[in-house]
Amino acid sequence: MLEKLIFGNLTLSAIPFDSGIIMGAGLFMAIFFFGVLGYITYEKKWSYVWHDWVTSVDHKKIGIMYLMLATVMLLRGFSDAILMRSQQALAAGTSTGYLPPSHYDQIFSAHGVIMIFFVAMPFMFALLNMVVPLQIGARDVAYPYLNSLSFWLTFVGAMLCNASLVIGDFAGTGWLAYPPLSGLYYSPGVGVDYFIWSLQIAGVGTLLASINFIVTIVKMRCKGMTLMKMPVFVWSVLCSMILVALAFPVLTVTLALLALDRMLGMHFFTDFAGGNVMMYVNLIWIWGHPEVYILILPAFGVFSEVVATFSQKKLFGYTTMVYAMAIITVLSFIVWLHHFFTMGAGADVNAFFGIATMVIAIPTGVKVFNWLFTMYKGRIILATPMLWVTAFFTTFAIGGMTGVMLAVPPVDFQMHNSLFLVAHFHNVIIGGVLFGYFAGVIYWFPKVFGFRLDETWGKWAFAFWVTGFYIAFMPLYILGLSGFMRRVNHYANTMYQPYLIVAAIGTAIIFMGIVTQLIQLYVSIKNRDALRDKTGDMWNGRTLEWTVSSPAPIYNFAILPTVCELDPFWAAKEAGRHTCLPDGAERHYQPIHLPKNTPAGFIIALFTGILGFSLVWQMWIPGVVSFVVIIATIIVKSFNTHTDYYLDAETVKQTELAHMREAV
Amino acid sequence: MAARMRSSIAQTGQFSWFIKFILKLSLCLSLLSLTACSGHLVGVLAPKGVVAYQERKLFFDTLALMLIVVLPVIVMSLTFIYHYQASHQTEDYQPNWAHSYFLESLWWGIPCAIIVVLAVITWKATHDLDPYKPITGHTEAPLVIQAIALPWKWLFIYPEQNIATLNFLEIPVGQQVELWITTDNVPMSAFFVPQLGSQIYAMAGMRTRLHLLANELGVFEGLDTQYNGQGFSDMHFAVHSVSRADMKAWVGRLQQTGKPLNQAVYHLLLNPSIANEPAFYAGVDPGLFEQVIDLYKNSTGVSHPRSQQLKYHHQAY
Repeated sequence: MLEKLIFGNLTLSAIPFDSGIIMGAGLFMAIFFFGVLGYITYEKKWSYVWHDWVTSVDHKKIGIMYLMLATVMLLRGFSDAILMRSQQALAAGTSTGYLPPSHYDQIFSAHGVIMIFFVAMPFMFALLNMVVPLQIGARDVAYPYLNSLSFWLTFVGAMLCNASLVIGDFAGTGWLAYPPLSGLYYSPGVGVDYFIWSLQIAGVGTLLASINFIVTIVKMRCKGMTLMKMPVFVWSVLCSMILVALAFPVLTVTLALLALDRMLGMHFFTDFAGGNVMMYVNLIWIWGHPEVYILILPAFGVFSEVVATFSQKKLFGYTTMVYAMAIITVLSFIVWLHHFFTMGAGADVNAFFGIATMVIAIPTGVKVFNWLFTMYKGRIILATPMLWVTAFFTTFAIGGMTGVMLAVPPVDFQMHNSLFLVAHFHNVIIGGVLFGYFAGVIYWFPKVFGFRLDETWGKWAFAFWVTGFYIAFMPLYILGLSGFMRRVNHYANTMYQPYLIVAAIGTAIIFMGIVTQLIQLYVSIKNRDALRDKTGDMWNGRTLEWTVSSPAPIYNFAILPTVCELDPFWAAKEAGRHTCLPDGAERHYQPIHLPKNTPAGFIIALFTGILGFSLVWQMWIPGVVSFVVIIATIIVKSFNTHTDYYLDAETVKQTELAHMREAV
Repeated sequence: MAARMRSSIAQTGQFSWFIKFILKLSLCLSLLSLTACSGHLVGVLAPKGVVAYQERKLFFDTLALMLIVVLPVIVMSLTFIYHYQASHQTEDYQPNWAHSYFLESLWWGIPCAIIVVLAVITWKATHDLDPYKPITGHTEAPLVIQAIALPWKWLFIYPEQNIATLNFLEIPVGQQVELWITTDNVPMSAFFVPQLGSQIYAMAGMRTRLHLLANELGVFEGLDTQYNGQGFSDMHFAVHSVSRADMKAWVGRLQQTGKPLNQAVYHLLLNPSIANEPAFYAGVDPGLFEQVIDLYKNSTGVSHPRSQQLKYHHQAY
C-alpha cells in the first residue's frame, strides 16, 4: 500500500532496457548531464552557477539560459527528425524500416511537441529577454522574480518531456494528442500523461512570462517613448504576448480536462458517455492557431530591425507595420477551424473560416512589401543576420502561398494531413520563425555576450541550412500531391521512395548546418577577444540597446534615456551625438535600485517538476509533498521584504568609465 | 565599422564552388524526381473522378492567383538585395525615405483585390464541392455505401444490395456514390480516395457523409489519413471502378457466394489486425451501421462500449 502511494505505477519495467535506440539516447543524455555536473564540480563553479545563474533575476542572464535550453532541445528535436526521415527513406515496398510503429509514433509526436514548446518558445523568450528591456530603455522586466520562475517552469517542462524518453514512454498520438486516441481506452500508458504535464508546466511558465512582458512594455518604457515611437520589435512582442495571454489559458483548461478524463474517469472528450471529441479539436486549435502567430510575430519584429539596420535605412511604413501586426493579432483568433475543414462542418462555416484565413495574407503581404522597400534605395550590408533575412523572403513567400491554397476548403479536402501540409508549415515555421530567430540571435548576440559570432562559419551554416531546407522539404510538396500522408511508418508504393531519399539527403545537409553553427559558437568563444564589441554599437544600430556597452551592464542604463523620435540612436548619430542623453548627463550618476537574486523561482519550478512526474505516475505521497513545498515556498517568499538593493553611484561611474575608455 | 563588415562580405568568392555544387546537386535531384514520377502519378494530379478534377483545377487556379503576388516578391527581393548592396555605392541612397501613400496603398490594394477574387471563388467552390451535397448535375439516385473504420481495416456495407466488403470497394463508373462514414473500436480516422475526391473524418457515434463519382474505369488507392494508432500505415483499400453491367454482375455473384455478416462475424472484425485480405459478405445484419453509431451515441457509464467484448491492446500489432 505504502509502496503504491510512493511509487504509484512506476516500476523498473518502465525503463525499456531492450530497446537499443532508446537506451543509447538515454545513455547519451545521462553522459551529457553528468558530464556537465562533473565539470562544474571539477572547476569548483557551483557557487558561481548558483549565485550568478540559477538564482539570477537579470533578464539578460535569463535570456541566455532560455537560449541554452532552446539549443539543447533543438538537438533533441532534430534527432527525431533524422530518425523519421531515415525511417521513411527506408521503409518502402515490403520493408518496414527499422522503427516499429509503437516507437515511431512517439518520435513524430515528440518532434512536434519539442520543436514548438521547447525550441521555438524558449528561442522566442530568449530574444525577448535579451532585447525588450534594453530597447524600451528599462532596467529590467516588470517582475524579475516572475521572469526567473517562468524560465525554470519552461525548463522543468522540457526535462519532464525528456524523462519520458527513458522512464516510460511519450505520447504516440501526434503533437496535439487528439482524443479519443489520447483517451485512456486507446492510450492506457503514461505517454499522454507526460504530454499533458510537461505542456501544462511549460504553458503556465509561458503565460506568466507573457503577463510580465505585457506589463513591462506598457508600464516601463523610458520617458518620451510613446506607443508609436516603440521599436517595431517591441510592438511585435506586445502583440505576441497579448496572444499568449488570451490563448494559453485555453490550452491549460483543455489539457486539464483531458487530464480529468484520464485520471478521474470523466467524459469531456471521450467518444462515449456524452463526451465530445470535436470539442477538444476545436479548443486545442483555438490555442494552436494563435500559437503559430505567437511564434511568427516576434520573428517579424526581428526582420524589421535587421532589415532597417543592415540596409542603413529607416524601416519603411512604420505605422502600416504596426497596424498590420494588430490586424494579424485579432484575425488569428477567428481562423482555427481551417485545421479541420474535413470534420464535416457545413459549407458556410468552412467557407467563412477559409476566407478569414486568406484575409490574414493581406497584412502579412503588406509587411513583406514594407521590408522590400526598406531595402530599396538602401545600402545593404550582407552580414549574417541579413543573410537569413534574404533567405526568408523567398522561403516565406512560398510557405505563405501554399498556406493560402490550403485555406480553400476543397483544396484542403485533398491536401489535409498529407505531406503537402507538412511541407507548408515547415516552410513558414523554418523559413519564417526559425530563420528570424537565427537572425535575431546573431544580431543581438554581441549585446548580451560582448562579442559577435564568427562571420565565415555563420555563412557556411546559412548555406547548409537554406540548401538543406529546400532539398528536404520541396519533395514533400510533390509527395503530398501524390497522396502521401503524414505520420506514415511504411508504404507499399515504391514510387514514393526517391523523393523520400532526396528529403533525407536534405535533412543531412541541415544537420551539417547545425553542426556548423555549433562550430561557429566554439570558434567565436575561442576568438572572443578579436570579435569583441568595444563600442557597444556593433552593427551601426538605430535603437536604444546599442547606446549601452556590450555586454550590457547589470543595470542596463546608468542614466535612463529620454527619446523624442523613432530610432533615437540613429537620429542622435545623424545629429553628431553618440548617445540619446543630453550633453553632460553622463557625469551625474546616482545609486541604482536593483532586484536581489532569489532561489524561489528555481525551487518552485523544481518541485513543480516533481509534482508533474508524480501526477504522470500517480505517485500520491511525493505529489502531495511537492505541492506543499511549492505553496510553502510561495508563502515564505511573499514574507521576504529584502528583495532589492542599491548599486552605489561610484560603481556605476567606474563601470561606465571603463566602457568609455574601451570604446574610444 | 561598415568597411570592416564589407571586407568580410567580399570573401563570398569562397562560396562560388559551393553554389555551383548546389546547382548541380539540385539538377541531379530534380532529374531523379522526374524519372521517378513519369507515368506513375497517383493522387489528385491524376484525377479519375469529377470531384478530384474540380479540386485539381481549383488547386492550380489558386496557385496562379497567388503567384501574381508571390513571384514579384521573390524577384524583387533578389533584385533589391543584389542591386542595393553597400559595395555598389548606388547614387540614390535615401536613408530617411520611409513612407509613400501611393506605394503603401498599392500593396494594401492589390492583395485585397486578389483575396476578394479568391474569396468569391472559395465561397462558390466550397458550396459546390460540399462533400455532404449531391454532386451538381447528377440527378440519378446515388448508390449508398456505409463505411465503418475498424482497427485497422475498412468495412463497406451496401445496404440496398444487402452485401458487404472488407478493404475492398467496388463502385459503378458514372454513378454517384454516397458514403456514410463512422468508426468502431478505433480512434478518429479519415476516409480518402485521392483520385476520386475529398477526404472526410470518421468519428464514433457520428455519421459523416461524402459524395464521390468516378469518371473512369480503374483501380484506385483508398486510405485512412488520420493517425489512429499503430496499424495506421496499413489501413489501405482498393477502389474498383467498373462498368454498371459488371457492377450488377458482381453484386449478383456476391449475393450468392458471400458469407453472412452477423454479430458474431462482426465482433471478430473488432479485433485489432492489419493488412487484412479483402473479404466479401452477403446477408448483413439489418441496421448494423446505425447500431454501431447508437452504441457510442447513447452509451452511458464509465467504460468504453467495446471494453466488455474485448480489450484493445497495443501489442496487437
